[in-house]
Amino acid sequence: MLNLLEQHPELAASITCNPVVYDFLQNSLTDGLWYWNLLQPAEGWVNAAFWQTLGYAPDQVPADPAAWRACIDPTDLAAAWQRAEACAQDSSQEFDLVLRCTHHEGSSAWLRCRGVVLRGNGSSTPWLMGALFDVTKEKYKEASAQEVATHYSSILSNQSVYIVKTDPQGNYTYVNDFFYERFGCERDIIGTSSLLSIVEEDRPKCLEVVIQCFQAPEVPHQVILRKPYRDGSVKSNHWEFKGILGEGGKLTEILCVGYDVTLLLENLQRAQHLLDVTSQQNIRLQNFAYIISHNIRSHSANLTSLVQLLSEAKGKEQKTMFMQMLATSTEQLADTIVNLNDIVTINNNVSKPKASRALKAEIDKTLDALSVLIRQHHITVEVAVPPALTVTVVPAYLDSILLNLISNAVKYRALDRPAFIRLQAQATPEGVVLTVADNGLGIDTVRYRAKLFGMYKTFHDNEDARGVGLFITKNQVEAMQGTISVDSEVGVGSTFTIQFHENP
Amino acid sequence: MKTPSLAYVVEDDRITAVITEFIVKKDLRYRAVQTFGNGQLAFNQLQEVVRTGGSLPDLILLDLNMPQMDGWEFLDACGALPLAQEEVRVFILTSSIQPTDIEKSTQYKEVKGYFSKPLGKVNVQRMQSLLWDAGE
Repeated sequence: MLNLLEQHPELAASITCNPVVYDFLQNSLTDGLWYWNLLQPAEGWVNAAFWQTLGYAPDQVPADPAAWRACIDPTDLAAAWQRAEACAQDSSQEFDLVLRCTHHEGSSAWLRCRGVVLRGNGSSTPWLMGALFDVTKEKYKEASAQEVATHYSSILSNQSVYIVKTDPQGNYTYVNDFFYERFGCERDIIGTSSLLSIVEEDRPKCLEVVIQCFQAPEVPHQVILRKPYRDGSVKSNHWEFKGILGEGGKLTEILCVGYDVTLLLENLQRAQHLLDVTSQQNIRLQNFAYIISHNIRSHSANLTSLVQLLSEAKGKEQKTMFMQMLATSTEQLADTIVNLNDIVTINNNVSKPKASRALKAEIDKTLDALSVLIRQHHITVEVAVPPALTVTVVPAYLDSILLNLISNAVKYRALDRPAFIRLQAQATPEGVVLTVADNGLGIDTVRYRAKLFGMYKTFHDNEDARGVGLFITKNQVEAMQGTISVDSEVGVGSTFTIQFHENP
Repeated sequence: MKTPSLAYVVEDDRITAVITEFIVKKDLRYRAVQTFGNGQLAFNQLQEVVRTGGSLPDLILLDLNMPQMDGWEFLDACGALPLAQEEVRVFILTSSIQPTDIEKSTQYKEVKGYFSKPLGKVNVQRMQSLLWDAGE
């Protein structure tokens, strides 16, 4: 087949002779022409289009014929030289590269140069004929695409969000660096089952959300799942699952984006716990307020009535009687206020500092204080408490609790048989358990269980009983987050069990 | 109007018991008043009277917070005794102002009134009208 110039010899003649045709070709096909002496790199020539591409107006074009060299990046120019030499050696090589140039305004411009080496005939100088094309816009686009790619990849591998993809069967097809760091373990997790990596109890929940992804694809579905962290601890993560549809509308993958909510959930639980404690405390305080008002009121009611009766009293005898009762009543009010003060003190100091105490030593101290009574009533005391056993307590409360329980056992001892008190303690996973057992009078727990630790409740015809001992004991135990319970039978004895709470 | 004859005062505080006995005699015109230190003692007596056919009280002034057997337990125990509804009336006389106590007292038919101490003029007048205007 003939080429264009062979078919149209007049065009070939026009190109060589007619400047209009030549100018049209060089100006409309290229953004510049470059003619370079391959024996003397300093010698070369660029056309007006080159300067125009670099932002020079016709009257700004430098006069120096070698000025073009300064516009091309020296490294790129050296590369072009090497490439041109290679092409001169081997005509099958192509000359096609990008030159970074300096625009008239100082910015960078990229010119793609496609060239051909003209060997000339025989010994004449080889020249490079280069056609230049402005690729600056493409270069910028490429750079911005690169930036976007970098940007997204940094989002994908960022330090706080897990990004995971699975196939429709739930096997990992992609995980970001952050996820891998936390849950990757030593092996490669791509291709393994995502479902099995979840805590077993949460798997049905996970499956349910996956089913939702199939039923409603392209919509996010939320779920919180627990997963063992690489250090063995279990983390709660909030996930957003989304089924991604491929061609033909079939679900091809599931995209999962998640973040750690362990701390959030823990705080929530802590807040809930605090709320529970507070509401319990509130109920206790309300009951306490009723108790206080009841006790104070009963005395003030007496005083009011007595004053009324005294003013209406007939005869000296009546007056003296009411006066006597008035005196007793005021004394009782004073006693009550002292008792209430003891109790208010416990309720006020819920956060008293705890300290570690050797239980055995504290028991011995209390028994010492009660030794006169114990000996006087011939009570056998047995203490089975390991000397090394310690409890974390408010020391003053422990003293008071031991004194109350042991002195109760002394006070309500059996009179018709040899009395004993047995103290035992042992460590359990929940904390130390102390039991104080006696073979004394006992209490009808079926009848009194609900009131046993109530205020101003007495269960024996004992003139000294104030009915505050066990109430205070229970409050002190509970203020230290412990529990107290009792087992008792009338005529057999009582066993009080205290569970200490170990947290300081 | 039937002449009030016998009233029980069930009250663990001795001074309150004496004051109440005094007022019941003076203002409610009871000729005889028996006081009991707790519900158990009053119940024992009541049980004995029912058994032997002695004279029943027509009014019981009942405290709530008492050792051994408290006011509620006393009411529960009395429910098992063969007593006619209107025969023995009960007034609760307590220093408790706990709303749950007032609420609970309405569940007992024999309880005709709930009074907060002290047994002052207003309370006495209310007792009088409850006792005397009952259509007898």
